Amino acid sequence: MFEHDFLALFPEIFLINATIISLIYGVVFSTSEKYDYPPLVRNVGWLGLLSVLITILLVAVGSPPAVANLVYNNLIIDNFTYFCQIFLLLSTASTMAMCLDYSKQESSNAFESIVPILFPTRSMLFMISAYDSIAMYLAIELQSLCFYVIAASRRDSEFSAEAGLKYFILGAFSSGILLFGRSMIYGFTGVTNFEELAKIFTGYEITLFGAQSSGIFMGILFIAAGFLFKITAVPFHMWAPDVYEGSPTIVTAFFSIAPKISILANMLRVFIYSFYDPTWQQLFFLCSIASMILGALAAMAQNKVKRLLAYSSIGHVGYLLIGFSRGTIEGIQSLLIGTFIYVLMTVNAFAMVLALRQNRFKYIADLGALAKTNPILAITLSITMFSYAGVPPLAGFCSKFYLFFAALGCGAYSLALIGVVTSVISRFYYIRFVKIMYFDTPETWILYKPMDREKSLLPAITVFFITFFFPYPSPSFLVTHQMALCPCL
Amino acid sequence: MLQVLAPFHSNLSGIVSLPLLGSLIILVIPNSRVRLIRGITIWTSLITFLYSLFLWIRLENDTAKFQFVETIRWLPYPNINFYIGIDGISSFFVILTTFLTPIRILVGLYSVKSYEKEYMIAFPVRESFPIAVSCSLDLLIFYVFPESVLIPMFIIIGVRGSRQRKIKAAYRFFLYTLMGSLFMLLAILFISFQTGTTDPQILLTTEFSERRQILLRIALFASFPVKVPMVPVHIRLPEAHVEAPTAGSVTSAGILSKSGTYGFLRFSIPMFPEATLHSTPFIYVPSVIAIIYTSLTTIRQIDLKKIIAYSPVAHMNFVTIGMFSPNIQGIEGSILLMLSHGLVSSAPSSCVGAPYDRHKTRIVKYYGGLVSTMPISSTIFLFFTLANMSLPGTSSFIGEFLILVGAFQRNSLVATLAALGMILGAAYSPWLYNRVVFGNSKPNFILKFSDSNRREVLIFLPFIAGVIRMGVYPEVFLECMHTSVSNLVQHGRFD
Repeated sequence: MFEHDFLALFPEIFLINATIISLIYGVVFSTSEKYDYPPLVRNVGWLGLLSVLITILLVAVGSPPAVANLVYNNLIIDNFTYFCQIFLLLSTASTMAMCLDYSKQESSNAFESIVPILFPTRSMLFMISAYDSIAMYLAIELQSLCFYVIAASRRDSEFSAEAGLKYFILGAFSSGILLFGRSMIYGFTGVTNFEELAKIFTGYEITLFGAQSSGIFMGILFIAAGFLFKITAVPFHMWAPDVYEGSPTIVTAFFSIAPKISILANMLRVFIYSFYDPTWQQLFFLCSIASMILGALAAMAQNKVKRLLAYSSIGHVGYLLIGFSRGTIEGIQSLLIGTFIYVLMTVNAFAMVLALRQNRFKYIADLGALAKTNPILAITLSITMFSYAGVPPLAGFCSKFYLFFAALGCGAYSLALIGVVTSVISRFYYIRFVKIMYFDTPETWILYKPMDREKSLLPAITVFFITFFFPYPSPSFLVTHQMALCPCL
Repeated sequence: MLQVLAPFHSNLSGIVSLPLLGSLIILVIPNSRVRLIRGITIWTSLITFLYSLFLWIRLENDTAKFQFVETIRWLPYPNINFYIGIDGISSFFVILTTFLTPIRILVGLYSVKSYEKEYMIAFPVRESFPIAVSCSLDLLIFYVFPESVLIPMFIIIGVRGSRQRKIKAAYRFFLYTLMGSLFMLLAILFISFQTGTTDPQILLTTEFSERRQILLRIALFASFPVKVPMVPVHIRLPEAHVEAPTAGSVTSAGILSKSGTYGFLRFSIPMFPEATLHSTPFIYVPSVIAIIYTSLTTIRQIDLKKIIAYSPVAHMNFVTIGMFSPNIQGIEGSILLMLSHGLVSSAPSSCVGAPYDRHKTRIVKYYGGLVSTMPISSTIFLFFTLANMSLPGTSSFIGEFLILVGAFQRNSLVATLAALGMILGAAYSPWLYNRVVFGNSKPNFILKFSDSNRREVLIFLPFIAGVIRMGVYPEVFLECMHTSVSNLVQHGRFD
């Protein structure tokens, strides 16, 4: 029985080995006197990128079985995990590609900042396939631990240290809440496995008043709060802008891309499969409204790029939670499409931000006259911003359209209405980028160095997707539909 | 893959994708080869125009069915397809778009100083999307394409606008239009969820409850008046019109404002007949206010372009009056007026564009006595001034006349007030012409006196031909749309 498990876990096993080998390689050679203590970030980065790509191949080749439970029912592999893992690995690969010339730019020689990107990737793979409360919690913790480290990885910057500290405290706090919720559930039901939980919760009404068991209600409440912390939904969002701004940009990019996928996948597994119930839906409903409103209003007053992107990601999480708030198949499908498109756009935006970093690119106003100095970057960035804003023929519109479609389909009219209003408001600050790049003539023109090739591929690919998603969206719709069927059934 | 590509060689999708193809070709041509870029843009648009004429010839007049129908599957699941086809009504909008595009390109051909390639790429895009709008037989597609034009328009107004106010204008243009249209999106999604389709032909046969009809109509209504534009939200048009370069203002007045009225005609009126009959006061009142108010506003403007920018508002509100007096005369008149307005209003912006290119000012005070220095321009300007105030024998007259006839049958008070607008319209057009063309020339302000060159005169010839042709013998246009319009009227049981 176990040898089949090992075969099915081959991508994870490969990734762990590759991580360890690149770690050993880095440690040994960067401290070798013979080679004059070489800077190895680029080498380790390429190794990491290569191993992520091979992992993608391994995942993709082992095409998904119908449903397979692994390791005594602790992990599950089905269509949902299959596509999620591929998508997660792709986004990690894109982050790795952004890292490659980072060391030269920042003149830092910390190859160990690459390895903590590989470690959480593996744990996120486990998060996606987790089928047991304990497995899930362990995977989340492993991921978070690596994140705390890389958030504080720039030791010479006090912003980075502050961000790492804040992230650590709040992340540990939210994990505590999550763990408390888990233990409540375990204490009141006696099981940790999702399948067992699903059996218990079928037809079990966890209403607030007249609850059959307030312990279970509290447990679910705590679990939901813990998750909402992790995805920076609104009442629990306070850490996000500071951490996004303080951490090194490459880390911010990683934070805002990969964990969104894994945590949303995990939430779907937990809340749609095991605790299917209208009670917690109201919670997500409120968080969704609050996130959309705060994301739209707070970003308006920002003038630093990373802070603005942080608030925009909060707003987008609000839109994604629309899909969550009723638990219909369309809702989940729209959530998955939304995540997919959001990640594409964010990869693009952060590749841009990283490419423009040389001259202390910190404020949005630094983009002034980019359309004159670097027209292709300007048009790419403005397409991304229009897409974030949800202007029609671009991918961002498709995601919002489908989210609103799902919201109206399940009768959540207020969500759709607020979504529409906030997305109009949010357009103000997205098109401010375009305005600054095209219309403003600043006093000092900032000239940016050209992008390196690895990084310039990313915006090229993502912009292609963003622009041409609309004419032919059916593959992604079919895939997400297949994915959405898995946790629902 | 072949199945996906197969429909592209046939008719309508050809005309939609041809301009896009042109813009893709331009994309790979280096910036330095300006002449080649210009040539490709112009030839693409000319071929598209010929193509659309060819479609018009092949269009059968005696059926209300949609012709050249094509479906390309878009989403497998919510039943939304790229479903396109034209009938007697929409064929005119296709032709209007393809007709105006080569002219827009020619108007601004040499006034472009920076971003020339981007500027040229934007043209085919702005041609193809309105064509797609008029062909679309799917509500969602109908929603998507008018909004898509906003991105090139936003950048064109902002980059090529002439004053600091341009940024405000660009923002206004963008946000006004989007604000309204998102509610339309909600309405479309709602419709699609209730009926399971967004195909308007199927939706025509669906009965919505009356309360729901009114709600949906209000939601759709939030979008169209911004585009039309009607009175409380009309400020977007003059602002954008003034700040846009000449070619841009031809687009916004000639083509984009038609997507609002076309939307009314295609979706609002036949789909929600009861709500249409209930809501006529809500259309009539703002329309009449708009006609009178904008005509009066025009008199106190001093900016040459703004004066011309307010006249589309008046004309388009005539169109809405005609449309919501849903009888055959009213609707045919409104379609004719839309077409004629596409010709008539585009020409004055070009007329004004020419002196502006020469003198770089738009304040009326600085002009005067142009007749002695620019006689040809002045003659052309006179022609369009007269056409703009709907002189009998020009195309606008036929349109407005039919609209008034239609409106009298519904509500004589509205028709009377609208006719008042005609008088006021006639007040400002000669006033403007008088100030600019006659009087003493003011050589202190105007140093360059050069008349229209050959290109500029040639640009106006098709307009003049179209205006006179339509004014003297409108039957050619009317007989094409007659079956479709009477089908529309019968469907709503308006008579």
